[in-house]
Amino acid sequence: MELNTASETVSFARELETESAKFYENLAQKYAQGKEIFLSFAKENNKNIVQTERAYFGVISDALEGCFSFKGIDTDNYSIETTLSEGRSYADALNMAVALEEKIVKFYLDAAEVSKSLMADVPQAFERIAKKRNERILKLKPLL
Amino acid sequence: MAILEEPIKGVPVIKNYIGGEWVESKGELVDVVNPAKYETIAKVPISTREEIDAAVEAAQQAFPDWRRTTPLARVRCLFRLKELLEEQFEECSRIQTQEHGKTIDESRGESRRGIENVEVATGIPSLMLGYNLEDIASGIDEYLIRQPLGVFGIIGPFNFPFMIPLWSAPYAVATGNTVVVKPSSEVPLSQRKIAELVDEAGFPPGVYNLVNGGRTVVNGMLEHPDIKGIAFVGSTPTGRDVIYKRCGETGKRVIAQCGAKNYMVIMPDCNVQRTIPALMTSFFGNTGQRCLSGTVLCIVGDDAFYNRFLDDVVDTTSKIKVGYGLDESTQMGPVRDVKKKESILGYIEDGIRAGAKLRLDGRKPTNLASGYPDTCFLNPTIFEDVTPDMRIAQEEIFGPVMSVIRAKNLDEAIDMANSTSFGNGHAIFTSNGKAARQFQYNIISGNVGINVGIVAPMAFFPFSGMKDSFYGVLHTQGQEAVRFFTESKVVIQRWL
Repeated sequence: MELNTASETVSFARELETESAKFYENLAQKYAQGKEIFLSFAKENNKNIVQTERAYFGVISDALEGCFSFKGIDTDNYSIETTLSEGRSYADALNMAVALEEKIVKFYLDAAEVSKSLMADVPQAFERIAKKRNERILKLKPLL
Repeated sequence: MAILEEPIKGVPVIKNYIGGEWVESKGELVDVVNPAKYETIAKVPISTREEIDAAVEAAQQAFPDWRRTTPLARVRCLFRLKELLEEQFEECSRIQTQEHGKTIDESRGESRRGIENVEVATGIPSLMLGYNLEDIASGIDEYLIRQPLGVFGIIGPFNFPFMIPLWSAPYAVATGNTVVVKPSSEVPLSQRKIAELVDEAGFPPGVYNLVNGGRTVVNGMLEHPDIKGIAFVGSTPTGRDVIYKRCGETGKRVIAQCGAKNYMVIMPDCNVQRTIPALMTSFFGNTGQRCLSGTVLCIVGDDAFYNRFLDDVVDTTSKIKVGYGLDESTQMGPVRDVKKKESILGYIEDGIRAGAKLRLDGRKPTNLASGYPDTCFLNPTIFEDVTPDMRIAQEEIFGPVMSVIRAKNLDEAIDMANSTSFGNGHAIFTSNGKAARQFQYNIISGNVGINVGIVAPMAFFPFSGMKDSFYGVLHTQGQEAVRFFTESKVVIQRWL
């Protein structure tokens, strides 16, 4: 589904954050060795939602191109796999996490790129979150 | 994406808010209609002359104490109001969409802009400061103080039901005046919500009053001797021939912000990728129902640029998703009501008759989600081969209609824009600083956009306007609003 508006895009970002937070909470329950890091990611997801919404609600105004600033963002390109089937190894779970983070980083960077100079603080918030999520990948890979 | 939940449930009967009480009106009730679903969502009274008089009396009675309340104490009420508006930001925004039809992004933008005026008005202890000079003559000092005047009337339009009264009301009360607000009877729910929050914020009774209705209320304000001034936003005929004229006759201060016919001038060196979304917002945002909307797309350049640019505009416009504003994917909502739709259709017919080429025909809405009647919906329309003398190039259509005109050069584009009777929000799109300066210098327009399609001044700048777009001297918002709502008193003192 192609996203049309800022509202829709922010809602989609919230969905990604919420879903991936649940995923990490699930991992924390299943894999004690990564519990701390997974829970810290889940907690950070909530901060990401706050950060995005603060940027959006702070700058959205009738002067900005809120309804026309996210052309070309198709949610199908950023669908994430969060269901961890029974019997999957810790390494499988980490690989899923890396794949998930890569998808979400791509979403934030693509959304930031298309809306740059139109949505003021929102693309900046997206870029900051993409950077934090990239750092997660760097933390996850050594655990593999 | 899901449809966001509607905040207005059932069909409430709206009351007036007078002297700190919610009062049932004796006036006739009329339907408030959600234009997307074409269903009644509230009943609003057309209040009587006695009711507007009662509101003015309550405001007049509240004035002496409110005036004596320190500016710091007055703005504490505004700080509390600001908090409440933030807490209920989303509900306020959804009410706007439900009663007006605009998209949720647009409503949130409107909420933000409105709240920004409350924020600016909380600076009144600084904004209201006077000035002084010692020793204007030997041993004599002179100083200026700003004093409130009394009761002000604030008359809002249908197109921004939440924001526009906030261009004035926060400054009026912060400076020590009292107000009577009259929203458009088509969209009274946003102002009812604000009045509820005003009540909760703890403003003393009578400082802020809300009276719903139509002409009787407006006439009551214009004729009442205790009303010291009116801040009005609406059409040019009403603003010029009724509000401005009669305020002049009765010695009231007046701000009358009126209609527009804004040119968006496209230079061949513009950044096309950035310009097109700005144009979509400008022409079709709020379904073209705003005095800052682009209405004439004036393209400067050779045939190759013209054709390429217009093809891009038409292609992007044809993909605009029209629907209910509470569907987050909607990019353009319905027009406010059937009469307005008929008026827009009339202009489209007129354009065809005058010989303009219909490049995109939006008369019949297409691809509406199921369950929504097309009663108030239109798709965007684009006319090509428009000439400056056509009605569609001269008159305010107030709908999603773009009229495309060609100009040989920037001088001709500016001349054409200046030939309209309005001067509200013309804009240029260019990467050339010299062209931008030439435009800024020569265009007759109160607000000027340079690579900005909707030239909406922030709360700390005045919302300007020229020619038939504005009647008065001082404007709403910021320092000019502070001056409008205060009298300058000059004191010269000598102590012997």
